[in-house]
Amino acid sequence: MERRRVVLENNIFIVLSIFLVGGSFGMILFKETLFSAFSFLIAMLALAGVFALLNNSFLFLAQIMVSVGAVVVLGLMVIITLNRQGKNLPQEEHKIGWIFLSTILVLPFSILLYKALMTLNLTFEETQEGFGALKMMGEVLFKNWVLPFEAISVLLLSAMVGAITIARKDENLKKESR
Amino acid sequence: MIAENFYILSIALFSIGIVGVVSRRNIFVVYMSIELMLSGVNLLLVTLSRLHNSLDGSVMVLLLIAVIAGEASIFLAMIIQLYRSSKSLDSDNFVELAQIEKGNQ
Repeated sequence: MERRRVVLENNIFIVLSIFLVGGSFGMILFKETLFSAFSFLIAMLALAGVFALLNNSFLFLAQIMVSVGAVVVLGLMVIITLNRQGKNLPQEEHKIGWIFLSTILVLPFSILLYKALMTLNLTFEETQEGFGALKMMGEVLFKNWVLPFEAISVLLLSAMVGAITIARKDENLKKESR
Repeated sequence: MIAENFYILSIALFSIGIVGVVSRRNIFVVYMSIELMLSGVNLLLVTLSRLHNSLDGSVMVLLLIAVIAGEASIFLAMIIQLYRSSKSLDSDNFVELAQIEKGNQ
């Protein structure tokens, strides 16, 4: 029974990681912005699945509701509003070459990160009952993390005000274009 | 399940994010690559919190998701503003802050 559970978990992990890595590769390889955004959506959904695989049911919910439902869909709406396709997009003739070159440059850094992380503990222990569920998350959040939580609320408020201020039509710009 | 797979996955996400930021010129792809890097960090934090059986890392990820939402709103507002001023999505048009004006030299 235990063995069957491990095999099942491994299979789910393989499927999710194919979607995750494939979605993120599609995101940087597609020329059309809308296709990139859809690949990114798939990657974020797969990431939510990985969170669920790690016994974090509340983060699974938060990832789907905030990252997928709000952030990516907001990005899709902006892309559709600007509506630049085909020839109107930036011309990138040597895109594959640049991606290849930067991959070679980033590779040593990835290997360094891998070697550093491999020194950590590698086997998962059994979790206690209710790990990652809403109740325990709330307890930890309001016992140890109250100040960061309040700071986040101030940050979100200022981000809202900043977004309105930045995106507002600039009067000077309008006069110049006339 | 072994933690090594999750480490490799999060490193892959972070590295693909860096590659996207460096090599692409479409400003939307740059924005999504930054989010991908943040997601890689999220995945690593969740893995470590599961590994140590403590929920502090997960709470940190919850706060980070809120930061990502704030970052997205500011970045999309900036994209709209820059698009209005230059009518293009090419990140090479957005170097005004990096350049010194020729008249002032």
